[in-house]
Amino acid sequence: MGQITLRGIRKSFSGVDVIHGIDLTIADGELAVFVGPSGCGKSTLLRMIAGLDRPTTGTIEIDGQDVTRTSAAERGLAMVFQSYALYPHMTVRQNLSFGLENTRMPKNDITARVDDAGRMLEIMDLMDRRPTQLSGGQRQRVAIGRAIVRNPTAFLLDEPLSNLDAELRGSMRAELAGLHDRLKTTMIYVTHDQIEAMTLADKIVVLRKGVIEQVDTPLGLYNRPQNLFVAGFIGAPNMNFFNAVAVDGQAELPGGLRVAVPGNGPVTIGIRPQMLHLADPDAPALTGTIRLIEALGAETVVHAAAADGTAMVVVLSGQPALRTGETIRLAFDPDALHVFGADGQRLD
Amino acid sequence: MAGLGDLLGRAVLWPFVLLARLIDLPLRVWQRWTGIGGMAAVFLAPTLLIFGVFVLVPLGLNFAYAMTGGTGILLGERPFVGFEQYGRLLECEDYTRRLTCREDQFWTAVGNTGVFVIFQVTLMVAVSLITALILNRNIRGRGFFRAVFFFPVLLSPVVVGLIWRWILQRQGLLNLIMVNLGLDPQVWLNDRFYAFAATIGVSTWAHMGFYTLILLAGLQAIPRDLYEAAEMDATPPTRVFRRITLPLLAPNLAVVLVLALIRGVQIFDEVYVLTGGGPGTSTLFLTQYIYEAGFASILRNPGLAAAASILMGAVLVVLTLLQLWLSRRAEGGRVR
Amino acid sequence: MSKVMGFLTARRGHGGRWHWTDVVTWVWLIGGTIIMFGPALWLISSSFKGPAQLAEFPPTLLPYVQELAVVDGYDDPLPLFTATLEDGTTQVLAEVRRVGTNAQMVDPANPETRIDVNIADRTPVRQIGLATDNYVAPLVANDFVRYLWNSVFVTMMATIITLLTNSMAAFALSKYDFRGRNAVMLLIVGTLMVPLSVILVPLYSVVNATGLLNSLWGVILPTVATPTGVFLLRQYMLTIPDELLEAARMDHASEWQIYWRIVLPLAAPALAVLAIFSVVWRWNDFLWPLIVLSRRELYTLQVGLNTYAGELNVQWHYILAMTVVTMIPVVLVFLFLQRFITTGIAGSGIK
Repeated sequence: MGQITLRGIRKSFSGVDVIHGIDLTIADGELAVFVGPSGCGKSTLLRMIAGLDRPTTGTIEIDGQDVTRTSAAERGLAMVFQSYALYPHMTVRQNLSFGLENTRMPKNDITARVDDAGRMLEIMDLMDRRPTQLSGGQRQRVAIGRAIVRNPTAFLLDEPLSNLDAELRGSMRAELAGLHDRLKTTMIYVTHDQIEAMTLADKIVVLRKGVIEQVDTPLGLYNRPQNLFVAGFIGAPNMNFFNAVAVDGQAELPGGLRVAVPGNGPVTIGIRPQMLHLADPDAPALTGTIRLIEALGAETVVHAAAADGTAMVVVLSGQPALRTGETIRLAFDPDALHVFGADGQRLD
Repeated sequence: MAGLGDLLGRAVLWPFVLLARLIDLPLRVWQRWTGIGGMAAVFLAPTLLIFGVFVLVPLGLNFAYAMTGGTGILLGERPFVGFEQYGRLLECEDYTRRLTCREDQFWTAVGNTGVFVIFQVTLMVAVSLITALILNRNIRGRGFFRAVFFFPVLLSPVVVGLIWRWILQRQGLLNLIMVNLGLDPQVWLNDRFYAFAATIGVSTWAHMGFYTLILLAGLQAIPRDLYEAAEMDATPPTRVFRRITLPLLAPNLAVVLVLALIRGVQIFDEVYVLTGGGPGTSTLFLTQYIYEAGFASILRNPGLAAAASILMGAVLVVLTLLQLWLSRRAEGGRVR
Repeated sequence: MSKVMGFLTARRGHGGRWHWTDVVTWVWLIGGTIIMFGPALWLISSSFKGPAQLAEFPPTLLPYVQELAVVDGYDDPLPLFTATLEDGTTQVLAEVRRVGTNAQMVDPANPETRIDVNIADRTPVRQIGLATDNYVAPLVANDFVRYLWNSVFVTMMATIITLLTNSMAAFALSKYDFRGRNAVMLLIVGTLMVPLSVILVPLYSVVNATGLLNSLWGVILPTVATPTGVFLLRQYMLTIPDELLEAARMDHASEWQIYWRIVLPLAAPALAVLAIFSVVWRWNDFLWPLIVLSRRELYTLQVGLNTYAGELNVQWHYILAMTVVTMIPVVLVFLFLQRFITTGIAGSGIK
């Protein structure tokens, strides 16, 4: 079991509110990812769940039990820290055993558990080394191992891959996903990297300035962002936004192209760079002047300025013959448009 | 070999490890009861207890002692005399003549300490600055020479005092050198002037290594490229020293100056062993005066000693505040 | 050989002539080495000289002992002299006894005949040797073994307690955020301003009231409260990441365990520096033991040595030897741990 429920969590540090009331439930066995720009409060939230910080108001429940005032050790959770926080003066084996020794587990059981975790993470031949003698990836494994041996009700991971190089991050990401499939334990994963969030999560929680912007599956977030912030935050390159005024269900994009939109008044129309493609010569099109072309081989990223000067980015497949300074004519599927009202919320 | 050392280490640490295990259980109970915050009190308690009993309480009592008279050591047996002790210390019929003071020894000690501090601190700063500058040059064996100048710092004051008493005695090494140079041997420590000079020289000898280290650290913190830039500009060495080295070393120099002042005012041990305050009272300094007034002399007067120590303490507080202020400024300067 | 010369003549420029500053540098360094080490070497050399040799002027650089010879018919070995006889020849003779200005001497090869020699006409036959009795006698006959033990006890106990209490306080002050932390810090900074010499009288009465007078604990406990130690350790502990402590908390460690098993081992370098300082401080302490200890059998080496040197009849040969003994631990520290200390001072400016 490992259902975690947050109710009305608020947190302030010396009078400054950093978390403004969060309600959230993470189901047993789920891998939830907290994502958001730095300073959004995602780490603070995780530390409160861990019991390392106390919420100013609100309650935290694990499997229906209120643990708000329970100490970190007694919540039965395990945490993987961003810096790994491996005890530098202990060997890998001692690092893994330390927590179990504190619970007065018999020595044989400790050895068995540590060996199990060691085999699972393929770190058996590192057991007698000190953390300083390990590579970044190996340290990462040990840190995860230290969490696994505890057999926790849930894992908390605070940006665990941020100290690795890009290549290692990719493979560790896959391993973490595999680990979650095998253990089927609740995991809460904090990251600012949306690729990690998209690839790992069962459920993504997007945070900004201490409030939840949206909770959904990765594809749900991508396909139906509920507000401008989420729309701009998820997806790379960022979504293109155009300001327009909706009159009678119609709005005009820069350059005069009219599209159907819900609502009335000022709106923001968004379209992902990948949803744009070159228009047929005589079809109506969104036009722009090409400023920069980044040819990546399989695809080409075009930076252009729309008729009113709004910057836009287009990802075209293949290697179309384009040149800087030329006019580009673009078409798109009307269903791919995202329309947001003046308050930034999605209009549908 | 490593295994043996490890084993030995474990054997030495074993009782402590056991003690730590035993103490863990009651502390766990305490932690459960008071939370993590309550543990801070546990960790602070031993130090605060010792500080309280052996520093704070005496500090308060000092004022009480200074207001009482008699020779008794128990405060209850001592009659209240108000500011009489301060009066005795400070009153003179004629302030231009030391001997007319009620406690002329005190004024002797103050005068001696003043002269001592002026000359010793000047000499100390000069010698350690020169040594630090030389050690900061690109010389071979810098580590060795740094150690050489540091060596006497570790010696105990008693050892320092005795070493030099032996060298300065009638048949000592210094007189051997004097004779070899064709000069008259002297009984150095029986001469008022030479004895006083000896206290300055010996205390400088004993402590200069410490100040040299601080100055050397300051010198090494000056970025090399500043000197290289100066070299590119063909700046003459004296100008480099005055315009680059000195200003950048100023914070460390200030700290050294004040630290040397603080130590100088309290000078006691090595001088006491070297000259015992003599000949006569020519090398009697403040701390020795306090020690003798409070403990050693036949007519001991703890109240008088307490009053004198409060007056000295006041000077030290001013100097220490100055030092804290300077070292904070020095740190700030380094960050910038 | 060329390497040695290269070392000795290393100087500022890249080759070329000697600059005057090079001359000053090497004069200063070599002169400094003589002045800094010379007195201690002179002490050590002198400590191996017998009383007679110590009274000589001019003194010799190295210790000598008189040669002895076993002569038939005499139980004890006799001292050898080179004597100038009446006929102008010189001969090595053994002295049997001295009578006034004359010495009765015998030829070791022919012990039957006594020869009278004026003491001005004979010089002792000496060779470099050590008067080890200077060391043995005070340690065995006098109380110096006792003093030595007292010093070792005081130094060890004070250092252990200092390390323990100071590291606990430093842990609380660096890793906990509690109300009044700044007040405690201020209090500890404040005690920096209260050197021993300022509170001699009341501290004596406190020690008296707690029954610690004339006890080694009366020497140990007041010295344990060094604000310097708390500072040094706190500064170091601030560099230990809080995440390690949090990881330990998640690992079910109690706060005491965190201190004992995580923070203390990680602070080992700072603890080592403080331990070295503490050993040197406590070993060298003089004024406070002088005041607290008035019973001879409790004296530490420093106090015992001073008392010995203050007696009317100064027995320099013993004092010099015991001064060397007093110096030994500090010299060992210097030889093996000098680097630790100098970097410690350069880093924190404490002593």
